[in-house]
Amino acid sequence: MANHTISVTVNGGKEYLDVPSNMTLLQMLREKLALTGTKNGCAAGECGACTVLVDGEPVNSCMMLAVEADGCEVTTVEGLAHRETLRVSENPKGLSALQEAFVEHNAVQCGFCTPGVLISAHALLERNPHPTDDEVREALVGNLCRCTGYLRIVEAVQAAAKAAPETGAGSLEGGAQ
Amino acid sequence: MTAIRMASTTDPVGKSVPRIDVYEKVTGAAVFADDMQFGPGLYYGRLVRSPHAHALIKHIDASKALELPGVKAVVTGADVNARIGLYLIDRPVFATDRVRVVGEPVAGVVATSEAVAEQAVRLVEVEYEELPAVFDPVEAARPDAPLLHPDLGEYEVANFIFPEPGTNISEHFKLRKGDPASAWPQCTAIVEGTFRLPQIQHVPIEPHVAVALWETAGGVTLWTCSQSPFAQRDLISQSLGIPHGNLRVVSPYVGGGFGGKAGVSMEVYAVVLARAVKGHPVKVRMTREEEFIGTTTRQSLVAHTKIGCDAEGNLLAMETEYYFGGGAYNDYGVNIARAAGYSCTGPYRIPNVKGDSYCVYTNRPIGSAMRGFGMPEIHWGIEQIMDQLAEKIGMDPAEFRRRNCVKAGDTILTGMEMPAVDLVACIDKVAEAIGWGQDEEPSAPHKRRGKGVAIMWKAPAMPPNPGSSAIVRFNEDATVNVEIGAQDLGQGAFTVVAQMAAQVLGVPYEWVRISVPVDTKYSPYEWQTVASRITWSTGNAVKAAAQDARRQILEIVAEHWGEDIKDLDIKDGKVVSFKSEREQPLQNMVVYGLPNENFEGWKGGPIVGQGHFMPTYVTNLDFETGQGTRAVVHYTVGAQAVDLEVDTETGQVEVLKIASAYDVGKAINPDLVMAQIEGGAVHGMSSAFEALRFDESGQPLNPSLVDYRIATSVDAPQEIHGDIVETPLEDGPWGARGVGEHVMVQTAPAIANAINDALGIRFNDLPLSAEKIFLALE
Amino acid sequence: MHASMPGLSTFDYVKPASLSEASRFLVEHDGGARPFMGGTDLFVRMRDGFIRPQAVVDLKHLPGMRDILYDEQAGLTVGAAATMNQVARHPDVQAHYPLLAEAASSVASYQLRNRATLGGNLCNGSPAADSGPAVLVLGGRLVLYGPSGEREVPAAGFFLGPGQTAIRPGELMTAIRFPILPAGNAGRYLKLGRNKAGDLAIAGVAVFGFPDGQAASGYRFRIGLASVAPVPLRALAAEEVLAANPPGEESFALAAAKAMEAASPIDDVRASAAYRKAMVRNLTLRGLREVWERIRET
Repeated sequence: MANHTISVTVNGGKEYLDVPSNMTLLQMLREKLALTGTKNGCAAGECGACTVLVDGEPVNSCMMLAVEADGCEVTTVEGLAHRETLRVSENPKGLSALQEAFVEHNAVQCGFCTPGVLISAHALLERNPHPTDDEVREALVGNLCRCTGYLRIVEAVQAAAKAAPETGAGSLEGGAQ
Repeated sequence: MTAIRMASTTDPVGKSVPRIDVYEKVTGAAVFADDMQFGPGLYYGRLVRSPHAHALIKHIDASKALELPGVKAVVTGADVNARIGLYLIDRPVFATDRVRVVGEPVAGVVATSEAVAEQAVRLVEVEYEELPAVFDPVEAARPDAPLLHPDLGEYEVANFIFPEPGTNISEHFKLRKGDPASAWPQCTAIVEGTFRLPQIQHVPIEPHVAVALWETAGGVTLWTCSQSPFAQRDLISQSLGIPHGNLRVVSPYVGGGFGGKAGVSMEVYAVVLARAVKGHPVKVRMTREEEFIGTTTRQSLVAHTKIGCDAEGNLLAMETEYYFGGGAYNDYGVNIARAAGYSCTGPYRIPNVKGDSYCVYTNRPIGSAMRGFGMPEIHWGIEQIMDQLAEKIGMDPAEFRRRNCVKAGDTILTGMEMPAVDLVACIDKVAEAIGWGQDEEPSAPHKRRGKGVAIMWKAPAMPPNPGSSAIVRFNEDATVNVEIGAQDLGQGAFTVVAQMAAQVLGVPYEWVRISVPVDTKYSPYEWQTVASRITWSTGNAVKAAAQDARRQILEIVAEHWGEDIKDLDIKDGKVVSFKSEREQPLQNMVVYGLPNENFEGWKGGPIVGQGHFMPTYVTNLDFETGQGTRAVVHYTVGAQAVDLEVDTETGQVEVLKIASAYDVGKAINPDLVMAQIEGGAVHGMSSAFEALRFDESGQPLNPSLVDYRIATSVDAPQEIHGDIVETPLEDGPWGARGVGEHVMVQTAPAIANAINDALGIRFNDLPLSAEKIFLALE
Repeated sequence: MHASMPGLSTFDYVKPASLSEASRFLVEHDGGARPFMGGTDLFVRMRDGFIRPQAVVDLKHLPGMRDILYDEQAGLTVGAAATMNQVARHPDVQAHYPLLAEAASSVASYQLRNRATLGGNLCNGSPAADSGPAVLVLGGRLVLYGPSGEREVPAAGFFLGPGQTAIRPGELMTAIRFPILPAGNAGRYLKLGRNKAGDLAIAGVAVFGFPDGQAASGYRFRIGLASVAPVPLRALAAEEVLAANPPGEESFALAAAKAMEAASPIDDVRASAAYRKAMVRNLTLRGLREVWERIRET
């Protein structure tokens, strides 16, 4: 089986890795980089626990080969706070507004789906800064949660949306850096 | 927002403080079982599974597997030669002479990578001789059914479980109260029905993972996502003959349990595989497909139930038979049948009851603990019959329940006196929240709208003597480490325990840490994190431990000041005297003690408080009648109402609103109770539409998330309204009792009742589906 | 017994630099090499053990595969590797082919739509392909590149059976072309799954309508069905009813019944044939009413 040398930017840092053809991006993150925040829930693209951003778009990392990420920018939950444009100023814990909102609204129980949910929600707010409740739910349909019943997750996403500075999504100019 | 984190929350009991583990979880830092790192010596295990539902094992040939480079060992049932179980020790660790379900592990392979182990699994050759299989519990209970456990009479069994050797019946609980036969003639209305529930699965988002290390010197460590590290230690220790003190079970955060990680399912395989490669940790992970059929499930049920009432709507009599499809091994399931038996009336006062509850072996995946532990299964039929009785005598269903529901002081079906709870208040609250009695317009001409109500009760289903213990120890800066053996599965156990400790100690909530992971080597004993018992039981233990620590501190300071201990208190992290108004911060003194005057000696030292709690009042129940002084520790009760619409053109159900009210005694953290209410409502709703499906030969048809659908964010109702009722539990910490399971027990029948309100059609069998509803309408 | 594996089988990942190189590789390794773009179908089936290729050939970087181009004369060209999300949010697709956007956005979840491609969905040849009915009713033509060069296949002739398409060994789909649509058109894709969203289709109905002076009724409707037959298909008899009879409840009911007859679904773990047939009827009726409301105004 072929091995590939790839370079991937993960959470803002460039990584040079040797990956076998059949290694998924999820396995690469967890096993080669010890970024265990992203979870393995089904290995079939159904549960969304493995969701990461690849070039800004959420994908199920279990359904993508590591070698396909060559040259790409990957963001995992560990990198959310750094990437975040919706940051709340004077945040002593260095969390994004979205993460803060999840804390405040108790939108977390067992926490296993949380990283994937945060990634999907983050991407939603970047492309649609003021979604309706239905749009939030639809954006999260690929992130299964068995604990919370989803309503608080929607609440938290909406709270983060309201906390965002009024500048355009994706802009790094807005808000405190 | 920052205000909350900089906060210093004194007197936290009753306040909705943020979860103690929330920061770890939103940053991805929280470590789960598969996140733990074991270094380059880690091996992987994969299991060889039976393709047959029932078959004798004639021969196993692992030679080709052993030749594959990277394979380190193959372990079969003959190598282990041990059984394991909780209430009934009926399960061989790796099948020995026969397999009893498709997917039953017959051997395990250890290799240097998961892929090689998987390859090797496919090289193990097993020769089977198929046997007739049986899948339906009623059929399996018949004397002429294929016998799954011929050795049932030889299995060790708890003294409150009564298997019937020579049959497939692993437990039979009898409830006899009054005389239903003489009561039927007095009934104005009688409703009888057969209700069927399929097996469903917990579907925790985290699949099971277990890593085991068997040291050459004999110590064994098991790392796994466990609700019950001590129970797992106990079961594996007894099964494999490892002294308890030599077996260490470590459990980090659990990514959802719902009962599926409560006992031992796949964890023991990691241990026996590790024994074959001593010195190397071995990791066994379930794929999602294996999670569905190779861990545990909720048992199926066939219920024949008959209930009657008089013209005024007073319930007079009930006869019921519950046949639980326990699957291939019933080691945990027998207690579900028992619990269903001693609670078989549901939360109602019925003077004449005849109940028979059976746990039956079937060639199906193992039925075990799942959220509700028999209560969702039996309430499905009971709550629909109650609606039908109300209809027959022309009474409003909510009113019917107000009239007949259990109240404090009632003698319930086992002869026990019902502790104080307020189910009527719960009914009132949900009726108000759902707009009970108000007909609402459907949102379109082809839709029908309906409302339904259902009530429930559940007691923790435990042996009579399940214990909790806790240790409270101070650090130099007066932060506190609380050690417990209970687990946080997401329900918030760590948070409420920290609140309770802080409350008693008189320190801010933010000073408390809960020691994670739970580790049987260091954590104090906890029976299991099940049964919605932690807030109550571990709470009592923590309270006791904190009181112990507090007493130690006050004694030192009282002596130091020459004051009476009765005049002292600890507030906001300082000992204060009401009399002299002196203050002594806890910092330093909780480790170093206090110097005498002129440093002529010291008093005090490291403060370590310990406490435990174990109920002492549960009694036996008579085998023939199920009667006894105290069957259970207590009951939690609640009500739910559902408002939904049915699209008559497709059969699709849209649940608009769920209203829930539960009597929790005391909400230690009201927001966490609400979180349980919301999550439970959606889980309960989803459970009405879920089913594990099998073909005629017992092959699973939908063991994947593609075809076993659970509720998504789009399926969740628009609104969930929760109310908390607080009737204190006599021996609950601040009056608290549990609620984690109760919140999803009666959602399915509430939905069925609402559909009946909308369409005039009843469904006795789960799962519901758009298809089933549509075809019933046509 | 087919048991899902924890990970993917071993294979070589191949990323050809040109269409001809890709085609050659597929010919040389016919049977052992699998083309892929998003991988959402392939990887699942590989883990389930149904397919064990020696090589997977990544096509999505080949020239033009991701392009979405609209020309007022020529129509819409969608590169085969355009993801469902790219198709759904493209301004020209939304403006001129909204039915295609609707079908694309009905697939699975947002994450999967960032990987699933229009071409892949069609090449997979699943009877349940959500893009199938839309491509059929919009008159899509599939551009295939192979050893003998480039050819175009109308969508109607593309689906041959469950998992079988008109693609020959060594061929790969490079684009899907849609003609300029008739003026005053409207369309709707109605999908029924077990969940309200995010599921496969138990039944999928695409209804497309436009004014047509050449039709006796003055209007022409096209009806495409997914998941109710061995292939996605058009309900031609239903369409004839609508061409011949004035639009209204009566002709819609008749057409819906004809659409139901065109369906030959199976019983499977997801739904029964009886339910699927009834849903074809009810969804067709719904779709016709909605589309009619929009085109009658023009």
